[in-house]
Amino acid sequence: MEASVPNEPPSFEQAMLPHLDAAYNLARWLLRHEQDAEDAVQEAFLRAYRAFGRFRGGDGRAWLLTIVRNVCFTQLRRNHPSVVREVFEDDLHGSTFDPGEVNALVWRETKAAQLQLALDKLAPEFREVIVLHEIEGLAYREIALVSDIPIGTVMSRLARARRKLQTELQALARKETTHGL
Amino acid sequence: MDCNEIRRLLEAATDGELDVAHQLAVEEHLGRCPLCARAVEGIHARRTALQTALPRFTAPPALAEKVRSALRNEGAPVRTSASQSKRADVFPLWRVTGLAASLAMALFVGYTWGGSRVRTQALVDEAVSDHVRSLQANHLMDVASTDQHTVKPWFAGKLAFSPPVTDLAGVGFPLVGGRLERVAGQDAAALVYRRRQHAINLFIWPARREAAPPVTRERDGYNVVSWTDGSFNFLAVSEIPAVELADFAEEIRQATP
Ligand SMILES: [Zn+2]
Repeated sequence: MEASVPNEPPSFEQAMLPHLDAAYNLARWLLRHEQDAEDAVQEAFLRAYRAFGRFRGGDGRAWLLTIVRNVCFTQLRRNHPSVVREVFEDDLHGSTFDPGEVNALVWRETKAAQLQLALDKLAPEFREVIVLHEIEGLAYREIALVSDIPIGTVMSRLARARRKLQTELQALARKETTHGL
Repeated sequence: MDCNEIRRLLEAATDGELDVAHQLAVEEHLGRCPLCARAVEGIHARRTALQTALPRFTAPPALAEKVRSALRNEGAPVRTSASQSKRADVFPLWRVTGLAASLAMALFVGYTWGGSRVRTQALVDEAVSDHVRSLQANHLMDVASTDQHTVKPWFAGKLAFSPPVTDLAGVGFPLVGGRLERVAGQDAAALVYRRRQHAINLFIWPARREAAPPVTRERDGYNVVSWTDGSFNFLAVSEIPAVELADFAEEIRQATP
């Protein structure tokens, strides 16, 4: 009530189009393909428009991003049924997850191209939390809303994603030293 | 707290997701523990790498127009991109009005809790912080049960009052358990409900000493609703949208005669 007592509710365009970049960024990282991302965003906006009657104000970005990620995951499951499995087993271990040591050296020496490659290699659910948190700057509770998972799972999934990213970077660095010299 | 406990909180601490008490405990520990301080350096190096190396893709310029035209085909009243600048003027104005209205509302509800706006805010802060801590410490429940007939007797002997316990599974808010809390300096029952994957904490404590203020408020993205029925004070807190939490509060009100 307090959070939204506007004189006039915003139109769909006013509420949602400002989040076009956020929508595209998420779709682009999840699908890793420019045209697929554009198509997904367009479909998400249409679905959002049809469902706009059920949007009751509040966090428009999170509401839209939920639809975007659902469109993307539907497409991923259709095209690559195997990629979505690993994460569920991981989540079963609960939120008392030990993140392990962060290797500062690995992160200081990593190059942008390597990091992007490493992120592309993660399962989409892990990539999703990294993109939402590190790039889009969403808080845990916002990610919980977008991905419809408990906050505890957001924390453990984010911790795992970061550690997997470090493992990928170390593997890429090893490859480079064996082939690159 | 020892190093192991601190390490488990470091990620949340550097992400700015801890409540104040834990944040202070972590900072205090880092001041005197070089090993944990080194671990934080690693986390900072990682953050710097992630935030400088990963691009935020921006939508191609043609995409906005494609979306607009797809929406127009659906019958949506959509402006052309040329008139967009007008929208930019209108939107902040609407937001400012909304903000002014919420400030007025906050002042209004603030003075009902024993005449103190500060204490109302303290109650809201405390409830949100209890809620967050219960999620982070994996300490949502001391008694886990979907059966109100198990949860209610569990409180007997632990509290000086018998809180009304109702399951709302039929309307999409299943009861999953309960635990003890302190709210506003008093012993309270905390009932835990689920909405999809999200938890709702419902605090119940006697209204004898002071009736809770009727608050509907958002803090740090958590929604808080409180009310009193004369015998008990109720306060619900969750990250679910305000409208859903209001539905929840209404269901509880109706189920508590
Ligand atoms: Zn330490």
